[in-house]
Amino acid sequence: MFLFRLISFMFGYVNILVRGENLEKFLNMAASRGIYLWDIRRIGENELFVKTRLSAVKPLRHIGRKTKSRFSFRGREGIPFVISRIRKRKSLVIGVVFFLSGLYVLSSFVWFIDVTGNRRLPAERILETAAEAGLRVGTAKLMVDQEKVENLIRERIPEISYVGVSISGTRATIEIAEKTIIQKEKLQPAHIVAKKAGLVKEVLVLVGNPAVREGDTVVPGQILISGIIPHPEEQSGEAGSPDGNQVAPPLTIPPAYVHARGVVRARVWYEGYAEVPLLEEGVRETGNSVSRACIKIGSREIIFSGRRDIPFTDCRIEREVKKPPAWRNLSIPVELISEKYYELEKYREMRSRDEAARLARLKALESARSGIGGPVRVIEEQAREITLKNPDNLVRFRAYIEVLEDIGMEKTFERPGS
Amino acid sequence: MAWRDFKKRFKRQMSDMLEIPSDIIMDLPKIVLVGDLQLFIENHRGIVEYTAENVRVNVGDYEVAVSGEELILRNILPDEICLEGRIKSLQFVR
Repeated sequence: MFLFRLISFMFGYVNILVRGENLEKFLNMAASRGIYLWDIRRIGENELFVKTRLSAVKPLRHIGRKTKSRFSFRGREGIPFVISRIRKRKSLVIGVVFFLSGLYVLSSFVWFIDVTGNRRLPAERILETAAEAGLRVGTAKLMVDQEKVENLIRERIPEISYVGVSISGTRATIEIAEKTIIQKEKLQPAHIVAKKAGLVKEVLVLVGNPAVREGDTVVPGQILISGIIPHPEEQSGEAGSPDGNQVAPPLTIPPAYVHARGVVRARVWYEGYAEVPLLEEGVRETGNSVSRACIKIGSREIIFSGRRDIPFTDCRIEREVKKPPAWRNLSIPVELISEKYYELEKYREMRSRDEAARLARLKALESARSGIGGPVRVIEEQAREITLKNPDNLVRFRAYIEVLEDIGMEKTFERPGS
Repeated sequence: MAWRDFKKRFKRQMSDMLEIPSDIIMDLPKIVLVGDLQLFIENHRGIVEYTAENVRVNVGDYEVAVSGEELILRNILPDEICLEGRIKSLQFVR
């Protein structure tokens, strides 16, 4: 059945309105002569609506004459009619062909180049090398020799261990794996110095000469583990006499210079301060937002999604403008603007002194915590209210956090005499 | 007349005996009804009446009268008719 229809569509068919006295006879005659009729519908007393193939129209006229019925054509469908309609609109066909060929031609160029996997190397350097090998934006895909590009990049940039160039669509992807270059052992001597003030809790020396003991208070920049190791004899001499008033040997052996390594943990204090007013006024976002997108052509804006009117009296606007790239000093005056409006409201908040104190305490601790960098162990946290003689409508808090922290930091120094 | 009846009976017995479908041997119409939506009549002898409510089809010895609503003839071939619409009744009219 479907096949019948498909064939009818391919060869074209017509809708005919048949008027006559003896329509049954007309149908029987058509059927017996092998004329294929379908979708026969009785419309009025003496009217029939019939579909038939284009090739059957001529014999049908003959039958119509015999049965004294008249035809009128009501619709033509099928490929032959479509073709004749298209013939009248040549420019449309040319446009379609032009569009499709344009799409095809443009899709055979590389328009985007992505570099993935580079961490230390700048992408520009890789792109430059790729351009030298013939892969640049705007080259035809056929002209790009992927193997050549890969080889050249690998040759030119020794930090790369793997290069893979793949082109999918109009996008070329240069995938890169960098070599991990093992850093050379530091040969320059170094001290470990304190980066913060604190009370030394523990000293673990791997290489070097400890300069502080547990319980010492240190200031920033103070040497904790020295990279200068005195000669063993000298050292043992010193260690052997706590009073240290032994006369130094006349022959001084130069000390060893090392790159000190070790961990020095100290108790470090952080301070934070916060104040919270009892009566707070300001502007804040309500959380409602409306987004809108429009195209700006010249000075006219055409909104194509989102609301025309913004229902907020007070709002903050986030605006993102996309422009086509300019060529020389010609630019296309079309912009794609997407805006997001966030509603703002004025607020006025009254707090009780307790509530404000709780808030100020949290804020003070928060501000103290923000000074801490790196992994630490918190020993103690405390926050105190600062009371003034004449209380105003501000609650002030100061917080102290005591943490145990590694305060060591490497600092190189020049070997004397070298 | 007697001779014709005899011939008919003989054909029927033959078709029963040999298990040949009787619509082939006896030239009877084969009517297929799909719900109340579609009606196929094979081996017809032409349309006697066609309106949107009533269709009568000649099938040789008698007529098949179909009544319903919005009846359309989906297609007509020399030996097959397909009828569509809401079929209400089907009668054999002698």
